[in-house]
Amino acid sequence: MNHIEEQLWNYIDGNCTPDEQSAIVKLIASDEAYRLKYQELLALNNEFSAIELDEPPMAFTYNVIEAIRTENAQVPLKAAINKRIIMGIALFFIIALAGFITYTLVSFNWSAQSLPDVAAKVPVDFKVPQISSSISKPIVEGFLFFDVVLGLFLFDTFLRRKNVAKQIK
Amino acid sequence: MQSKLSDIELIDQVLAGNQSAYADLVKRHQRFVFTLAMRFAKGREDAEEIAQDCFIKAYRSLSTFQRQAKFSTWLYSIVYTTAMTFLRKKRVDTDSIDDEGTFIQVESQSSAYDVNNAENKSRSFYLNQAIEQLLPDDAAIITMFYKGEQSLEEIGQALGMEANTVKVKLFRARQRLKDKLERNLKHEAKELI
Repeated sequence: MNHIEEQLWNYIDGNCTPDEQSAIVKLIASDEAYRLKYQELLALNNEFSAIELDEPPMAFTYNVIEAIRTENAQVPLKAAINKRIIMGIALFFIIALAGFITYTLVSFNWSAQSLPDVAAKVPVDFKVPQISSSISKPIVEGFLFFDVVLGLFLFDTFLRRKNVAKQIK
Repeated sequence: MQSKLSDIELIDQVLAGNQSAYADLVKRHQRFVFTLAMRFAKGREDAEEIAQDCFIKAYRSLSTFQRQAKFSTWLYSIVYTTAMTFLRKKRVDTDSIDDEGTFIQVESQSSAYDVNNAENKSRSFYLNQAIEQLLPDDAAIITMFYKGEQSLEEIGQALGMEANTVKVKLFRARQRLKDKLERNLKHEAKELI
């Protein structure tokens, strides 16, 4: 019986080869058991086709779009910054530096035998400011302490990021 | 009057930054996605959560949709994986109160049955009731085949199975559905007598 049903379902679904199809058509026409089973399965097939779909809540689409909007709004600033802006800033600095270097190289007097006498242009009464007197030991120690704290802070941030990346993976 | 845009045209608009085009896509597929989610969740709230999650995931990975299959097939594969993850998570969460949960579900189903008994005597009511009693996989395959306009190959793609496996599963699911439908109708006839 199962085999008959399988054959008939294949026929109803249109999954038969032309030969199988003509054989089943003949069987339905000649065999009463086949015909009755075919009618039963066809009725079931029509019934299954008429299954009603469930209706989601009225605000479903709105909720989905709102959820997407909220998610987009929560994107961290780092990811939200347009890459083009960053590229633009980088390009500006590259062009500015390239221009400055080019101008310097072009305006430099390559034919001169020696380097220009820079010392001659320095005013005679130029004095290097004496800052060593104002740098006392506590200031140096404070500066070093600040550096150590900053270093530890950056190292901690680096380790935390590594940890978070591991958890995401 | 503007003709109805295809799924692919709407996707192109979404990728170009038009978010309202995605609302149109959601409206177009929400009934089927929700129904499919209901086949797994068996409760409207959970189904809504699955369906919503599925549309959000689809939006996030819309740019990776390769357009070799229909959008609906791709979307249904997301529904399937989302629903499976949801069920797995739910099983873990409610493991200790599993019996109680089943009891509540059965009780609420039968009470709903009693309330609606008088007004929902149509075949479609019994058919939906029988589908609810099927295993999620069977119910999903039947729904996708009859209402999702999906071929056996496409259902296979969505569920990660061979087309032949889907064919066998569909055959068995239809048999089980037929049995359940007959049993429910017999039970109803006995009650009336």
